[in-house]
Formats: sequence, C-alpha cells, structure tokens
Amino acid sequence: MNKEAALSVAERDFILDALREDVRLDGRSADQLRPLTLSFGEEYGHVKVQLGKTSLIVRISAEVAKPHDDRPFDGIFSIAMELTAMGSPAWENGRQGDFETYVTNVLDRVIRHSNALDTESLCVLKGVSCWTIRADVHITGYDGNLIDASCIGVMAGLQHFRRPDAVVKEGQVIVYGIDEKVPVPLNITHKPLSVTFHTFDEGKLVILDATRKEEQASEADVVIGLNNAGDVCYLSKFSGSPVDAMVFVTKTTVALEKVKELNGIIDKALQADLAKRAKGGLAEQARAENDRLIG
Amino acid sequence: MGGPIASLHPLSRADGSASYKCPATGSNVLGSVNAPIELPGRRDALKPEDATIEVFVKPGTAPGGVGERHIEGILRGALGRIILGREKGYPRRGVVITLAVVGCDNIARGSSYLPILPALLHTSILALLSASVPLSMTFSATVLAVDSSGEIVCEPSSTDAAAAASLHVLAFTSQGHLLLNESEGRFDFDTWERVYERALAICHGTSALGSDGDVAMSENVDAQPLEGFVRDTVEDHIHREYAWKIDAA
Repeated sequence: MNKEAALSVAERDFILDALREDVRLDGRSADQLRPLTLSFGEEYGHVKVQLGKTSLIVRISAEVAKPHDDRPFDGIFSIAMELTAMGSPAWENGRQGDFETYVTNVLDRVIRHSNALDTESLCVLKGVSCWTIRADVHITGYDGNLIDASCIGVMAGLQHFRRPDAVVKEGQVIVYGIDEKVPVPLNITHKPLSVTFHTFDEGKLVILDATRKEEQASEADVVIGLNNAGDVCYLSKFSGSPVDAMVFVTKTTVALEKVKELNGIIDKALQADLAKRAKGGLAEQARAENDRLIG
Repeated sequence: MGGPIASLHPLSRADGSASYKCPATGSNVLGSVNAPIELPGRRDALKPEDATIEVFVKPGTAPGGVGERHIEGILRGALGRIILGREKGYPRRGVVITLAVVGCDNIARGSSYLPILPALLHTSILALLSASVPLSMTFSATVLAVDSSGEIVCEPSSTDAAAAASLHVLAFTSQGHLLLNESEGRFDFDTWERVYERALAICHGTSALGSDGDVAMSENVDAQPLEGFVRDTVEDHIHREYAWKIDAA
C-alpha cells in the first residue's frame, strides 16, 4: 500500500490549468531543473543530494569477494535502494512496493547495464577474488523525480569513491588500508544520467523534473537516460497514456542539454571537494614531484 | 574529544526527525518519526488501547539482517516504556521510527551493535521530541567498554570496542533510574557496579553520584552530562523556532 495521498480534483485542475498557461507551481519554466546541491561526507563515496525538496544520501562501499562463476573476470556492482518511512510517510518500512521496484530497475538499466562502471577493472585475481561495489541509496525526503536525483547521487558517488589498493603477490591478494596506500578511483567509462519528463493534457504539455504534486497530476512519464556524448542508453515509457513519438525526438535534445548541465554541476562539486581533501591528504604526501616555483 | 552534535528536524517529509553525530564512536545516525500514523492492513496486530511502536534500523552500506532485527527489538522495548501510547489519537495507530546509519565504521554482519546503540537511542528520543509524541520522560544513554585489565573506556572507538573484554550500554531516565542495560562479554558483578556508577556519572553528572569518590569520575567533571545535552538540543531548537515570538516580546 505504498501510495501517496491522492491529489484533490481541484488541485489537479489547478496544476493543469496553470500549465496550459505555461506556469508551474514553483515558477519554473517547463524545461528547468530545480536547484541541485551536492555535498560530500567525510569518507569517500558519501554523497548528499538535494534536488529541490527531494533529498537523498548515497553511500558507496567496496569489499573483496569471489566473482560469479560464469564471469570470472568481472567484479560485482549492485545498486541497493530501499524506500523507508523516512522519505515519505506513505512508504512502509520493510515492504517493497511497485514504485521501489520501478526506480531500482531504472537505476539498474541506466547505470549498471550501460556499463558506466567498468566491472572488469574490479577483478583482482581471475575467478578467485574481485571487488564488490555496492551503492546504497537512502531517501531522506521525497518530493518528486526520485529517479533523476538517485541517478545523480549514484554517479557522483561512484566518481567520488576511492577503493583500497589491492595487489597480488605470489598468488596472495594483499589489500592495503586507506591510510597505507593511496586509494584508487573507480574506472568510470562514461557518465550516464537520466532525465524524466511528465506529460499533461493529452501529451501536449511536457515538463521536466516534476515535483511530487506535478507527478501525481500527470498522465504519463518518459525517462531518457543518456551520457555527455549524447548516446542514449535508456528510454522508457513505463505507464500512463500514450505519448507522441515526436516528444521523444525533441525531448532527447533537451535531455542532452540537461545531462551536460548536471554533469557540469557534479564535476564542479567533485573538484571542490577534491581540492579540499588534497590539503594534507595522503595523495599529497605520497606525491614524488617537487613544488615548482613559477615565475 | 568533543561532545555529540545533533540537530532537530533536518528532514522535510517526516513528522519529526533528528540527526545525531558522536565524534568519539564515529557514529552518525539519521532518524525520523511518523506518528500517529495509520498502519493499513494490520488491523489484527494493532492494540485497541495502545499505540503500536515500529522501529526500523537501516544499515548504511549493507542489507539489513538479523543484527538489525535484534537491535530493533531492544529499541522498541526501551522506547515503549516512555512513549505514552494511550494518549488521545494514539491507540490503534502506529509510531513508526526509522533510523538510518548514515556514517560510521562498517558493522560487519554478525558483529555487535552495542557501540552505536546509544547513538540510535539518542536519535530516536530527539526525533520523538521533534515529532511531539507524548513521552513520560526522556533518557540518555552511553556505551562503556572494559578492557582486559579492567580499565573502563567511555564511548569506545570501533577498535577499542573490538579489543574490549566486555561492552555495556546503559540508559538512564531523566529521573536517574536505569532504563536499559545491555551487556556482552565476560565481566563480574564488581565490574558491572563500577560501569554503572561511571555511566550514571556520564549521563547525569557527578552530583547524582552522591558520596562515592571514584577517581575515574574526575575525568568527566568538565564534560557536560548527556541528560543536559538532550535538553539543550531541544531548547536551542525551540529558541530558534520561536525567535519571531521572543523578538516581538
């Protein structure tokens, strides 16, 4: 029974009528994102995402495990998301609803199946040991567009995360602690993000980054997952009323623009955090080159 | 070693929430409370005269397991004693407490949850206060480790806790009564007595100790008793929330 309280008819009509006049409840234009802030915790791979009033925490963790028998060269990467009553009172603890399955599936498709994280680079010793990377998504506040926010969180987390260094010596795997050897960043092949659109008024109105109320009032949703290069790695029209084919064509261009914008914000936040860590960090101490005086 | 850091109502959707960070043990917990709330589809399980308390502990980087279910039972027992579930509007409804371990050294599957139990307890009491759930009293809790030489370590780090001979979590109500005691490892009654005295001093300050002049207590004289910490956090929050009213007066 993971259902938010339904919108009243008056509220639904209000949202729709306003959209017909090209006005959104929070004053954004149709193709405008809510303000996005990213902050990082003390440990690597701990990201806090705030997209409007939707907020979540992503934690990335790594441990050494045995690879799957059929893929001895591959490491394991999994995305775990559990909706708890913390995110919204409508979600019940410990019970998986349709929404949770849907969001997890989209995340899996956009990030895992598009091979954003190169799993082959996680192999330590063929068929014996590999790294298991786990991304945990904790939703702390739900106000629409959970898919895009989680996607941003997981991708930022993967780029921020550093795994301990592991070395094979005479058939033995040695894992060095974070403070023994400079930890290694993950091998990211590309940076896919999802952009969700919602349609109204028989598919005539299409908006981006809907809030919870807009989501409830909408007819259908379209999720487009693509990377900076414009490669579409996921496209879905999961439920609701039909959407015109032209919407996909025109909105893919908008999505590409948004993905570039979002990746820019992520990169900037990562750079700022890296610069903060670089001071007195292990990487700084382990550096071999001298400080050069310029000028 | 600084004291714990907490903030009330950091989340937007939950009725009440709190975040709690303990620098000594390195635990960082986020808690939310939804109360009173309808729990659909569980009519038979709901008590007709009392609120149903649900506690959910979500580990940070692992799927939940037996350890979490066990600690949930402990938390439910302790919180059930102070929540006034018979107040108007609460019977047949649920008090849903969700605790997410946001940052701390990883708790391996099957290992002890005791080092972060005080953090979980403090987060839940602060979240309950922030949700304005009727409570009979508040409490404060602490964890103490006794190492092999019989020395007591307050708020042990994960390495201290792993090396300890025994671990004890004690919670005291605002009246100074013992509310909860969870101990594990090997220890004798004398050790427990010493742990009890020390924990009482940490939670309620040395004044509550009476004439007992244990040397170890002097370490904690300057530290603020934990009971006062819960009070101060709520006081600060109310002060901020009602700033408009205080300014106008």
